[in-house]
Amino acid sequence: MGEFRRRLVFFLPALVLLAVFVVYPVVNTVWLSFLNRDGGFAFLANYADVLSQPEMFDARGFTRGFPFGAIIHNFIWIAIQLPFTVMLGLVLAAILREVKGGAIIKSIIFLGMVTPMVVGGIILRFLFDGNVGIIPMLLSLFGIAPRTLTAYPDTALFSLIGGSLWLWTPFAMVLYSAGIETIPHYVYEAAVIDGASQLRAFFAITVPLLRPVTGVVITMTFLWVLKIFDIVFVATMGGPGGASNVLALQMYMYAFREFNPNAAAVVATCLMLLAMVVSIPTFRSARGDE
Amino acid sequence: MLRRVMLFVFIALAIFSLNGLAAEKRLTVISGWSGPEMDAFMPVLKAFELETGIKVDYQIYRAEDLAVLLPAQFAAKTAPGDVIMMWGWFINREAQAGHVLDVTGALNEADFVPGVLDAVKSGNKLWGGSYTGKVKPGFWYRKSFFQKNGLSVPKTWDEFQALCAKIQKIPGIKAPIASGNGVGWPLSDITEHFISTYAGPEVSLGLMSGKVAWTDPIVRGVFEQRLVPMLKAHYFSEPIEWTMAADLWWSGDYGLYFMGSWITGMVKDPTDLGVFSLPGSKGIVFAPDYAFVPAYSKSPVEAKRLLAFLCTKGQEIQVRQGGHIATYDKVALDAYPPVDRGVADLMKGRVALPDLDDTIGGEWQPAFWDQLKLLWVSPARVGEVLDTLQRKMPK
Repeated sequence: MGEFRRRLVFFLPALVLLAVFVVYPVVNTVWLSFLNRDGGFAFLANYADVLSQPEMFDARGFTRGFPFGAIIHNFIWIAIQLPFTVMLGLVLAAILREVKGGAIIKSIIFLGMVTPMVVGGIILRFLFDGNVGIIPMLLSLFGIAPRTLTAYPDTALFSLIGGSLWLWTPFAMVLYSAGIETIPHYVYEAAVIDGASQLRAFFAITVPLLRPVTGVVITMTFLWVLKIFDIVFVATMGGPGGASNVLALQMYMYAFREFNPNAAAVVATCLMLLAMVVSIPTFRSARGDE
Repeated sequence: MLRRVMLFVFIALAIFSLNGLAAEKRLTVISGWSGPEMDAFMPVLKAFELETGIKVDYQIYRAEDLAVLLPAQFAAKTAPGDVIMMWGWFINREAQAGHVLDVTGALNEADFVPGVLDAVKSGNKLWGGSYTGKVKPGFWYRKSFFQKNGLSVPKTWDEFQALCAKIQKIPGIKAPIASGNGVGWPLSDITEHFISTYAGPEVSLGLMSGKVAWTDPIVRGVFEQRLVPMLKAHYFSEPIEWTMAADLWWSGDYGLYFMGSWITGMVKDPTDLGVFSLPGSKGIVFAPDYAFVPAYSKSPVEAKRLLAFLCTKGQEIQVRQGGHIATYDKVALDAYPPVDRGVADLMKGRVALPDLDDTIGGEWQPAFWDQLKLLWVSPARVGEVLDTLQRKMPK
């Protein structure tokens, strides 16, 4: 009992802070999502109302093109960013380990990560600008007429995803670099003696031994995409015509443009549930590995 | 004894200096003007400081940012400034919630352009004042560019189309008309000008009040028969960040640029500027900059005094800088630079209209900007755009 009390005293400040700044806001947000504007209990009416809005899900997009609604845009974002972040991060980390001056190159790549996201959003706006942007300029070398890629519904979301990859992949690269450093060299040397090629060693040794790191990268990337807001807000404001709208931006719009906290709470609760769907199994699996 | 005297003197000096500090009032003015626009505003604040001895700090916040910041601050019964420039609809809404100081009596309404204070009034109460206004008269061009290329100001719709076609063929031109963008408002200014010209000022006012629907055949006609064909013909550029668009237009990448009267303060040589409205235009948007004193100002008396100064004497100082049109009737015409007098001349015989999206406001405003960005690059989706605008209108 004495031991328990000592532990409690040690943890109490953290628990209080957690309760005040995490648990209470979460519970209050969920509760808010079930209330109507007058404070009465609305049960699932807010959910039905918000999720049926074209801003959240627009089925017409499947025949007409963008926008599809914030939910679909977030899923498209995840579907593209997740595999690319994992692959690019892993490949860059593996290659740069073997390259002379790899640490310097890694530092340069990591600069994307240290850029504040609001600044990143502004940079993206100009990177994709048809008049001054380097991306349209590069594309014009392949015969593609330069145009502002963030201004068109069919390219706005993909431009932002590309920018997000640039800003986020260094994080994966650094994690994988740290993970690779923990793999002993003699494992590779043994593989080489057994006649394995570098590629074979990569898939048979590096990839499996980095599984826990991959779990973290997947979870963190998923959460990054779910909460993506700043670069969208600054670069396109979710436009044109909502073609690059995402859940976090829609939550902001409900909260601070419509002054509708209940609708914003619905989106926040959905975001939280989606985050839990991915993070809980990943962390459980990581615990199992331990 | 000497120590006691020194202590007494020290305490007396401390009290005196604290009193002095307390007596020095400092006010904070907030508006969205930065760069050259801010430079043109600073002499007004300086004049107030000289006249009253009250120091004024200036802070830059865009109206879009204030729309997020102020409700939260007001809920906490505080305010970031003493005089804040903001949309009329916002001031009126916050006044109903008790967050705005009543300034009735601080201004003589008869001294202002008729109707200009309506946006910040409810009943007999005045919740703010109108500073200078910005006119959005039409398409700006460089006289030297027109002379060099043998172009002339159009008198009819067909002449306007022919002018655009002619500019499009000039080597080096990317598009006849530069489309300013940013958060989206420059496109809304162009659209409002098309609506007031080809549907009439009364339809513009009907849209603002909600009496006319965005899906109304008259409105749809303006979009489908005037705006969309021009977009399809690539007479408008794709949306470009508006200050960049101004530079590109000035350097000759584009022939025309639809912008408000503040453009005169942004270009290197205002004497080279010319402007024309859409042929047949009967109404011109005249958008005043509204200012108010939050109920949580720590110096309400001085803040009211500053508001009154800005809305009266301050306007004359501001219009001398160029780019602004006074809403205060007592500003003499000779206070204006010549190019602004030309703008004022365009207003003759035309209805002065309030800014449409500033009047409707709320969540509709960013939706309007965003839908127009979609229309600009996908004109075939005009039906969808109008449906969305109608769906988003305040109930």
